[in-house]
Amino acid sequence: MFWNLTGTRKRQSVVCRFPNGKLVLYCKGADNVIYERLADGNYDIKKTSREHLEQFGSAGLRTLCLAYRDLSMDQYKSWNEKFVQAKSSLRDRDKKLDEVAELIEKDLILIGCTAIEDKLQEGVPACIETLSAAGIKIWVLTGDKMETAINIAYACSLVNNDTKQFIISSETDTIREAEDRGDPVEIARVIKESVKQSLRSYLEEARRSLSNTPERKLAFIIDGRCLMYALDPALRVNLLGLSLICHSVVCCRVSPLQKAQVTSLVRKGARKITLSIGDGANDVSMIQAAHVGIGISGQEGMQAVMASDFAIAQFRYLTDLLLVHGRWSYLRLCKVITYFFYKNLTFTLTQFWFTFQTGFSGQRFYDDWFQSLYNVIFTALPVIMVGLFDKDVSASLSKKYPQLYQEGIRNTFFKWKVIAVWGFFAFYQSIVFYYFTAAASQHGHGSSGKILGQWDVSTMAFTCVVVTVNLRLLMSCNSITRWHYFSVAGSIAAWFLFIFIYSAIMTSFDRQENVYFVIYVLMSTFFFYLTLILVPVIALFGDFLYLSLQRWLFPYDYQVVQEMHKDDPHEYSMIRLPERSHLSPEEARSYAISMLPRENSKHTGFAFDSPGYESFFASQQGVCVPHKPWDVARRASMKQQRQQPQRTGRS
Amino acid sequence: MSVSGSESAASANKPKYSKFTQQELPACKPLLTPGIVIGAFSLIGIIFVPIGLASLSASQEIVELIDRYDEECVTASDKIGFIQDSKANKACTRKITVPKPMKGPIHVYYQLENFYQNHRRYVQSRSDQQLRDKDYKDPKAVAKACDPEATTGDGSLIVPCGLIAWSLFNDTYAFSVNKKSVTVNKKDIAWASDKNSKFGSNVFPVNFQKGGLIGGGNLNDKLPLSEQEDLIVWMRTAALPTFRKLYGRIETDIMASDEITVVIQNNYNTYSFGGTKAVVLSTASWIGGKNNFIGVAYVAVGGICLLLAMGFVVLYVVKPRALGDPAYLSWNKEAAEYSH
Repeated sequence: MFWNLTGTRKRQSVVCRFPNGKLVLYCKGADNVIYERLADGNYDIKKTSREHLEQFGSAGLRTLCLAYRDLSMDQYKSWNEKFVQAKSSLRDRDKKLDEVAELIEKDLILIGCTAIEDKLQEGVPACIETLSAAGIKIWVLTGDKMETAINIAYACSLVNNDTKQFIISSETDTIREAEDRGDPVEIARVIKESVKQSLRSYLEEARRSLSNTPERKLAFIIDGRCLMYALDPALRVNLLGLSLICHSVVCCRVSPLQKAQVTSLVRKGARKITLSIGDGANDVSMIQAAHVGIGISGQEGMQAVMASDFAIAQFRYLTDLLLVHGRWSYLRLCKVITYFFYKNLTFTLTQFWFTFQTGFSGQRFYDDWFQSLYNVIFTALPVIMVGLFDKDVSASLSKKYPQLYQEGIRNTFFKWKVIAVWGFFAFYQSIVFYYFTAAASQHGHGSSGKILGQWDVSTMAFTCVVVTVNLRLLMSCNSITRWHYFSVAGSIAAWFLFIFIYSAIMTSFDRQENVYFVIYVLMSTFFFYLTLILVPVIALFGDFLYLSLQRWLFPYDYQVVQEMHKDDPHEYSMIRLPERSHLSPEEARSYAISMLPRENSKHTGFAFDSPGYESFFASQQGVCVPHKPWDVARRASMKQQRQQPQRTGRS
Repeated sequence: MSVSGSESAASANKPKYSKFTQQELPACKPLLTPGIVIGAFSLIGIIFVPIGLASLSASQEIVELIDRYDEECVTASDKIGFIQDSKANKACTRKITVPKPMKGPIHVYYQLENFYQNHRRYVQSRSDQQLRDKDYKDPKAVAKACDPEATTGDGSLIVPCGLIAWSLFNDTYAFSVNKKSVTVNKKDIAWASDKNSKFGSNVFPVNFQKGGLIGGGNLNDKLPLSEQEDLIVWMRTAALPTFRKLYGRIETDIMASDEITVVIQNNYNTYSFGGTKAVVLSTASWIGGKNNFIGVAYVAVGGICLLLAMGFVVLYVVKPRALGDPAYLSWNKEAAEYSH
């Protein structure tokens, strides 16, 4: 029988019966939890295994330790009773199982350790670099060892040799000494004290570094055990302060619960928008704790996907999701919302000016049906088209200039200033609509000299409002598709169609036939056509002037990018998500050579490079794997650096 | 997992490509470049100025004479009492000198000020169904629509009901040019749609102005509503508190320096609420009555646009910015500031 590896337990055990009746308990798990449960003695094996583990870790492999224990029949039987009891208990089953497992998983004898290479997905380092350029801070929360985690960080360019690293680890000598003494209370106290000191001193150092040498990047690395104490309410503030100052944060050996706690810390403490992305069941709580949770569907199953807000297939699609679609969505939302307020404000204020001249009696300016259908038919469809299709720059340019993402971070399109400008123009336009139509309608019209009534004036004003508001939308679009033309023309046509029909009928349901035949009367006068040309032009005049001046004197970043690329051909078939490398061998070679590390780094990030690298184990075994030509060149330049990890491993 | 297996699985999951769903519709990407801005302003200027000048010239040719008479036509100190006295002689003679030749037909309007035909309770006080349909006699609906002028004291329905009809304007004007009287043609002063459809040709006034308070003019009981053009014109409520309505037309021409004598029956009571009355004589052209506003507006807007076009040329010369200059990107600007 066996019982399972969980995130919190970090180990898995199985009890076997040999054919000769011998009972053995085999246990595998993370190295620290196995080492805690080893019997005394066998110091050499432990030391050698530790060295191997460090070596594997520096090479970026994921490690496990294996141990065993012989069991006698009585031991097993008595333990099994407790185990069965725990398994069938109704309350706190997990806790009881843990306790029971503790009883038997002790005094283990170490067998050795294993290492697995776990490749990073294709395109991950490039993706992370792009997102950092976009102003997104990236934290790595992993259950792996510190060496592995640091290696991952190097591979992703989160950390490089120039980066100042602040490391809080639970593997320091003081803590080891306390552990040897064995008093859990004292261990906790020592760890907490050391974490507190480290946090305080690192925070000061970070602040100093930031003010003296701002271009030097800072990285903060902490492991799960210290994190447990650092998340204490007393130390949390310093932790958050230090994390926010540093450019990247790596937390290693974190449990799923701690991942969620760290995410909540940033979300609530720093009040920033957080996004977490993960692919396994251990990432579910983190995904749910962040503002936006993204699950990568893939080899580790679908739990992350099911708990997430968005699911993508590969990590590198995150750039598309954020920089392209996220940015466009922000832009579209701002446009739709501000436009909606503008068009309703214009429409309503035009009526408002009328109230001053009705003796404040509350007489409506527009007919009831005009008002009801304004937002439903006459101005609804174009704004939907904008919300679906508006793009300030194309997808490839969005990825080429990740700094454009800052517009969203800084909320440039929904500031009070932006809304005030829209509000001002709504006010100005409403004055134009009301006073120009009213003033122009005072006198007789046409050679018959007949006079227009109130409903004629209001229909005229309403026509101007509908036409202007729809044209204003076209003015504020960055990319106009034929659907925009259809919807704008369609809305204006719908208005005319509606008024032609509505004013031509008399039904027994209406108490008053206010707008009977109004549009035909209007269209028989020159006043109608002259006003229809004049008033929208005057109304849009202010907006046009403002937009021209703004683009020339204070251009937004996306406007500059638009101008830079205005002569690019349309790239419709080029916006496909890259599924696999379509590079020819020559391109692949030149790409690989360009990817060669330029600095003399202790960390090769070897295990996490893009596919095509040479297997660590194959070379250890002396197995000859057929190489690509570019790979040879690559290895040649890497040769000197390979000596160093082995040197540190042996010290 | 084999590579080829994943490939076919991936293509099986891929959604069907369409330009609409993948947001790859061909689009026009307008940029407000200097050329477009200057071009747009110039175009508007070039189109609007001639239209404005044409409208203005048409409007300038129109001769309009306005004569306010309500103050001077009542000499008694108690104006309201005078007006409400049904036996007093309310005739009033006014003289207008014509400055420029007026080509017929000359339109005669009465102009009222401070009269809120657009007041909410006033506007809703009518029943259009009653006006066009003689069989419409639903007393409750009529009462609701036309309150307070729906029924007489004994409960019989008034046709046409409502405050608008009740307050019908009833001053009359009799014109003579150089002592020779001219007739005022009172036909075709209302819009055809009103006459033909909104006011029934078989609906006759019933119990009109028979109540205690008389609000305005009376109606000929023998004429159907569709021929009561004064009523029709009056019931097309005006948009603003200062308005004019068509009274009739003088079909003959009037020469310059002719003297027009108007004999006004000053019946209508605007004195209770501080309103004013005036008689207006105006020629008409394709643009309608004298309306400088449209002409002035067009010329002004056209002129401003041309000025702005020139202004923008100056702006682009004085403050040039190369289109698409990366130095204007905010991150480059920050880096430039930073390095200083």
